[in-house]
Amino acid sequence: MGHYPTKGTWQTCPACGRHVHHSQWGTYQQCPYCHYWRRLTAATRIEQLVDAGSFDAVSLTATTTNALQFPHYDEKLAKAAANAAGADEAVTIGWATFSAWPAMLIVMDSHFMMGTLNTTVARRIMAAIQLAEKRQVPVIIVTASGGARMQEGLYSLVGMNLILAELARLAAVPLPLITVLTDPTMGGVSASFAFKGDVILAEAGAKIGFAGARVIQQTMPVSLPVDFQTADSLLAHGQVDAVIERPQLRTTLIEILASYAYQGGPHHG
Amino acid sequence: MDKRLRRLRAADRLSAPTVIEALLPTFVAQHGDRLLGDDPALTAGFGRTADHRGVAVLGVDRGADLATRRAKNGGALTVPGYRTALRVIAHAAKFDLPVVSLINMPGADASPKSERFGQSQAIADLIAAMGQLTVPNIVVFLGEGHSGGALGFANANRLLMLDDSLFNVASPEAVAAILRGQQTVSEAIDLLPMTAKQLQQRGLVDQIIAHDQPDLVTVIGHQILKQLAPLSALTPAELIAQREAKFQDFLAQWPL
Repeated sequence: MGHYPTKGTWQTCPACGRHVHHSQWGTYQQCPYCHYWRRLTAATRIEQLVDAGSFDAVSLTATTTNALQFPHYDEKLAKAAANAAGADEAVTIGWATFSAWPAMLIVMDSHFMMGTLNTTVARRIMAAIQLAEKRQVPVIIVTASGGARMQEGLYSLVGMNLILAELARLAAVPLPLITVLTDPTMGGVSASFAFKGDVILAEAGAKIGFAGARVIQQTMPVSLPVDFQTADSLLAHGQVDAVIERPQLRTTLIEILASYAYQGGPHHG
Repeated sequence: MDKRLRRLRAADRLSAPTVIEALLPTFVAQHGDRLLGDDPALTAGFGRTADHRGVAVLGVDRGADLATRRAKNGGALTVPGYRTALRVIAHAAKFDLPVVSLINMPGADASPKSERFGQSQAIADLIAAMGQLTVPNIVVFLGEGHSGGALGFANANRLLMLDDSLFNVASPEAVAAILRGQQTVSEAIDLLPMTAKQLQQRGLVDQIIAHDQPDLVTVIGHQILKQLAPLSALTPAELIAQREAKFQDFLAQWPL
């Protein structure tokens, strides 16, 4: 055993398959060989985006239950918690500042059951939007999701129309909604709030769509273009405002918030 | 195929155009999204009922034979379909016509073309617009309706289902697929509440209609008008609030 490296020293790049030493990924978690941006946990994503120390997490105590007794869901939830490094669900919400501009930040995490939208995730997102309406600050949503979580059936699906109803109130204020689509943004998240941003950013390299390539190819024998559902192809087809490289995401968000110049309402502070 | 699914997907299943024809003696069909094209799976327009009430309709069906099934993409709506529906409900709001949707559709259209033309945005727009609609809307499940596409029509003041219909987050096949073959498609139907009866017990479905009765089309027409009647007294703000409260109440059943 002694001559084996410590677990976690080397990782396989999911894109090019080469072995990458943990120190080679760097601050922004990029493969040194193929430039693939590794998927981030919510905690790392937040750290990269906000003013240092400014994130003030809004803790909602509710945790996910297997109310329908769906087979193997309890095991999956337990495994997801371990995989997502402490995150208790697929979304984290909280107040943050971006070069002093305040916003409500909602960050999804693909490490927790592929960031799927369930009852808890929907409730947190709705609560976050309501809080932003109270403080009169913009909302930033960083999406990373495979879609609606099947294990909770229709209870997951109604998160889509309920979040959209909440966003209608945010728009009526009006307060800005900025969405940042990261890898992957698919299914029920893609077909509800992801594309409702006043400004929609896509992280470079992200796959974004409704039905994934595997599902499409199971349905029909087509060869898909190499850039299928990539951030760049979405920009070329007019579906997002910009494709942003990870190290520039923070500065891009600051520029957008500064352009809206919302200082926060009377309840701020 | 599972016996229940075979019935919903059968060629002789009652289709939306049949119900629309019976419900609206005068009917003006509306075609196309004015941008990309027209979707043959969608039967849309407006007209007058036998007692002269104005109604807008949206019907999605699979087609009854091979040729129509191909033309209608098996009922999997495409981007022009959702966009046409958006145009029809905007027109309905303008002329104060309640919107009746009649659906029997599988999950989303999995194709490069739908992805290329923004299927995600089209579905999101329809769900959002139905939620904010200032006129009453109701949906009747004539068969299946799954996933975000069906929710676009089901985000309504009233939900009606034929007793053997199904409404779920994904098709039973997709549910079985996430279990990696440990359960059959038939078993998958029983794992999640997706039948009319289960959804009525959970307060989401307002009325169940037996599928095996002689005057089914007439009964559906009566039920639609009966469900619409009390909604005409509500203001636009009350309609929007009632719709959201209906789904909030459903979500609230999930334990915190």
